[in-house]
Amino acid sequence: MIVHSIFFYTFSLIAIISAIMVTASKNTVHSVFFLILDFISISCLFIMIGAEFLGMIMLIVYVGAVAVLFLFVVMMLNVAQQKNQWFAAKDSSKHIPIGLIISTLIFVEIIIVIGGWKYKPEIFDLNNSLTQFSLSNTHSLGQILYTDYIHVFQISGMILLVAMIGAIVLTFRQRAGVKRQSYIKQISRERAEGVEVLEVETNKGVRIDE
Amino acid sequence: MENLNLILPEIFISLSIMFLLILGVFKKDSSKITVNLSLFVILITTIITINETFSVNRETLFNGSIVIDQMSSLMKIITLIGGFLVLVISSTYLKIFKLYNIEYPILIISSILGMMVMISSNDLIVFYMGLELQSLALYVLATYNRDQLKSSEAGLKYFVLSALSSGLLLYGCSLVYGFSGSTNFDIISNQLNSNEYVLTFGIVFILVGLAFKISAVPFHMWAPDVYEGSPTTVTLFFTIVPKIAALTVFIRFLYVPFLNLIDQWQMIIIFLSIASMIFGAVAAIGQTNIKRLIAYSSISHIGYTLAGLATATNEGIQSSIIYISIYVVMNLALFSCLLMLKRKDQYYEDIDDLSGLSKNHPLLSLCLLLILFSLAGIPPLAGFFAKFYVFKAVLEQSMYFLAIVGLLSTVVAAFYYLRIIKIIYFDKEKDKYDTDHSLWLKFSLTVSTILILFYFIFPSLLIDVVSRINII
Repeated sequence: MIVHSIFFYTFSLIAIISAIMVTASKNTVHSVFFLILDFISISCLFIMIGAEFLGMIMLIVYVGAVAVLFLFVVMMLNVAQQKNQWFAAKDSSKHIPIGLIISTLIFVEIIIVIGGWKYKPEIFDLNNSLTQFSLSNTHSLGQILYTDYIHVFQISGMILLVAMIGAIVLTFRQRAGVKRQSYIKQISRERAEGVEVLEVETNKGVRIDE
Repeated sequence: MENLNLILPEIFISLSIMFLLILGVFKKDSSKITVNLSLFVILITTIITINETFSVNRETLFNGSIVIDQMSSLMKIITLIGGFLVLVISSTYLKIFKLYNIEYPILIISSILGMMVMISSNDLIVFYMGLELQSLALYVLATYNRDQLKSSEAGLKYFVLSALSSGLLLYGCSLVYGFSGSTNFDIISNQLNSNEYVLTFGIVFILVGLAFKISAVPFHMWAPDVYEGSPTTVTLFFTIVPKIAALTVFIRFLYVPFLNLIDQWQMIIIFLSIASMIFGAVAAIGQTNIKRLIAYSSISHIGYTLAGLATATNEGIQSSIIYISIYVVMNLALFSCLLMLKRKDQYYEDIDDLSGLSKNHPLLSLCLLLILFSLAGIPPLAGFFAKFYVFKAVLEQSMYFLAIVGLLSTVVAAFYYLRIIKIIYFDKEKDKYDTDHSLWLKFSLTVSTILILFYFIFPSLLIDVVSRINII
């Protein structure tokens, strides 16, 4: 039990500190890194209470997709401004220690959780967690998601659809003057449409493109 | 096997959303047909709702997480009719601002779907899903005129503040779940008793989130800016339709899961009600923009509806529902007038633009006069009866302070309504406005004005329907 509380306090401390650092750090890229650290600590906490499905989803969706996308967006914004801070030679040493600390922490966290979970399963045993049933967490989630909670599942599908429509409505612009290629049009062009034979008068010339 | 007929309206409307989307993708220039089909969809959904659920007394579906009862079916019907009328009168406005495309009706009906889910929810998860579905569509609708700075600002403001309030709401939900061990309203109601003071935190957080959604003071800050910035037809949607759903959820929360904790929430509701009534009345005085004025007036109207809820009696709930129904009609009429203030494809929304309206447009001015009198609560118009029922229910519970504050704020509110009437009838006249309005706009103005004017002849029509609602 004492091992369990040590892990719990370690992870929660890291989660809280990194959550504070997300808002406190001045560089937005650092904020995103701290956000990733926060997500990872929380997913470790989830795994510790026996919700391994939730923890892994957290890792895959938030860390793997959302945070990385976030990082891209942040790095894309203010590229010129960020360049000076990030890629200039004299300042480059500043972000390396922070990056190293965060990456070591993440690495240690993963080692602790995966290692402990793999080799000493009883240290994470909680009396009230779902693990006391014979089914695995993912299994039991799957069993109720499509039966008892089918309506909620469908409504969340509708929410995603609305989010998609919304994103398209707010960002899609029909630009005037964009030239698109149409193969049918190109192939079916006849000589009569493209070529015109003109009688050119001497010293007058022809004006094209009228 | 569940009786899926009871949620047939929701199923039908969601399938229609997908159908309309596909239609819009594959058919060129399909804005007109999509709008017309959406109107048709809303109409059919209304008919299905009346047909399938109106006679049902109380039934639950999906392990009690969805409830179909008298209140839910009535509120769904009001929501659908409100959505129908909003969509039907908005086409001219949308065409002028070049917003007339397929996404607009689809977003409107998906937000209506969210509201229908909210209205019949009997479970924290289902309720939150419905809330998110409707507000996600509303964020986009607020920003719909994205090339205009004010519209984008309104959308962003609404999004950020609404996300914050959703966070508070979810925190409250998690506390309630933690203390009761279930997300189902009926089970929560059995599990909770008034001795658990810790639960007050959960209730406070949930009420804060809900009060934000109906823009009750002190969580109203977003309303004037969002109402002003959004396109007028979206503002119309904002003022009437989400309020109905949010009020239903308010009633459901207070009287199903938290019924035993009445001592804890009654003071909160009384405070929200008094603050909204006073603030809405006082802050509207200095406004020059009609849309902002409507925002403040809707805040004070929400205050009166909450006064009915604070009584903790069936009469109080019924009076609130009657109030919100009449409020919907009055706001619909007011916005129909606002959409008629158009001169050469430009809309006018300042109070000064109304000056001397009576000389050029006597009929429109007469309608505005009746609507504003009704909003101020002058007998024998519908608005008077709405306030009358609420105050009657409040006085029956001997809550004299609430009633006195409510009456005083009505007097203050009457000032700014009368000021507009003075501007219309006694100020210098301006240029003529266009008179070539669409048939539907004229229709909705006529019908709603007639409803306001002649409500006192057949009040029993509404009262009979509403009196079948027995929550407690």
